[in-house]
Amino acid sequence: MQISTHTHPVDGAIELALNGRFDAHEAAIFRDAFHDALDGGSHQVRVNLAGVEFVDSTALAELVRGMKRCRELHGDLTLVSPSDPVRVILELTKLDAAFDIERVAG
Amino acid sequence: MNTAADTGSRPESPVESLTGALVEATDQLLALYELAKVTADSLDANASVGVILSQATRLFGASAMELHVVDDVIVGPSGDRLDPDYGSTSPADSRTSLPVASTTSAVVASVSVSNAAGLEATLIAHRRDRPFGTADHKLLSAVANMALGALHISRLHEDAVAQAVISRDHDTASDLAVRALPDWRPSVDGVELFARSDPARSAGGDLYTFAIVDGVFHFVVGDVSGKGLPAAMMMTNVISASLAAFQSEGRRGPVHVLSAIDSWMYDYLSDAGLFVTLVCGAFDRRSGQLRLANAGHSPVLFVHNGSAEMIEASVPPIGVLPLQILDDESAHEQSFATEPGDRLVMSSDGFTEQENSSGVMFGDGRLIDAVEGATTPCSELGPRLYDMIEAHAGGAEQSDDRTLVILDVIDVPLRHDQADMTGLT
Repeated sequence: MQISTHTHPVDGAIELALNGRFDAHEAAIFRDAFHDALDGGSHQVRVNLAGVEFVDSTALAELVRGMKRCRELHGDLTLVSPSDPVRVILELTKLDAAFDIERVAG
Repeated sequence: MNTAADTGSRPESPVESLTGALVEATDQLLALYELAKVTADSLDANASVGVILSQATRLFGASAMELHVVDDVIVGPSGDRLDPDYGSTSPADSRTSLPVASTTSAVVASVSVSNAAGLEATLIAHRRDRPFGTADHKLLSAVANMALGALHISRLHEDAVAQAVISRDHDTASDLAVRALPDWRPSVDGVELFARSDPARSAGGDLYTFAIVDGVFHFVVGDVSGKGLPAAMMMTNVISASLAAFQSEGRRGPVHVLSAIDSWMYDYLSDAGLFVTLVCGAFDRRSGQLRLANAGHSPVLFVHNGSAEMIEASVPPIGVLPLQILDDESAHEQSFATEPGDRLVMSSDGFTEQENSSGVMFGDGRLIDAVEGATTPCSELGPRLYDMIEAHAGGAEQSDDRTLVILDVIDVPLRHDQADMTGLT
């Protein structure tokens, strides 16, 4: 999995754009990038999942952990444009009810 | 080799000097050969480096030798540490050269070496009878590199052993956790049950358990997020919580069972950064009523007249957010008035997400097709589904636990509408 990081132009949140498989083998990479974002002072973190082709339960647990950490810091973790496979998993597990999910057209 | 008599009787001729040097060089080569042999005999750092220093001490006619590494000093056969005031040379400031420092009573040489792995060491040799010459430089470097190599191999071995111990402990813990799954099958009239969980190499935290409370068959099927020891340990806790919830809340229905497990497990799961998907069910054979509450678990299929219905979750998995499901109990329970031939299929994501060598998952679709087309009892369908997964995988590694629980309704003596009238439910 590849992660690119940039600052969102509208709200200044850090956006992590993930590409590839997001599973147990890649969880540590995400965790490091997420902690880097928090260390940079941003408690509003956007995770763009448009390029993610698969998530497993370990990856979902990382996202949940990140969401909780952001909320502890009075921020939030927003899932952006989840790909179809990710969206289906979020719906089946009802995690779509727990996350703030933003669907960006195009 | 020169002797005292030889050197005392007449001056050494050039030929004798050359011969002596050749003999000495041959002795040194033989000593190096001996050194090379001993390094392969032990994987213990102190033992292997100690033997090298012992041989090298003999080779150089030294009185003492020490190998300094970042956090340790290994001494040669003298067993004594060198006097720290042996001269101006110290390991910290002599990494690349061979400084030869003389003190009033002895001469000391040190040589520092490093390897590609970043391991550094300084060899310090101490000799009383003669100074170290330029010719000794390469030999000392060779000895230092040899000692460093032995040290490196020893540490790699120690790391490998440590990893193997950790891995073995994880495997043992995972094995023990899997044993928390019930190896008994409840005897419930009118119901046939199939339950099996094949753990992946790194156990994934799949679980199921059952209980019969007041004649009602209670069950949970779930999956703790993550893999390995944390998931396996959490899985055993969820099983314990489920069994307790069956007893304390089972009479009130699966929503209450789910809520109780959530109240007991939420903080624990949350602190560990884990969650568990869980479907709780209760089947009353007397009425044929099947009640389900699903917290994020998939797939769950109810099969009636050969048609499978996906039972969706009403809330996220336990550990994500506090569930708060008792305020609107009816919104979180799905109830079925079963008939003979009805079937409930619950599996884990490791079952449907098994990929083949091309990365294609088995998927919910294949599972639904197989279940809808099945006319055999679950005792035959279950193993057949596992065979299908294996065939689909085509030798690809099992990436997650594969769990499958099937409940077949064989006989319902009293339909739920009749039971309502008799007050049996």
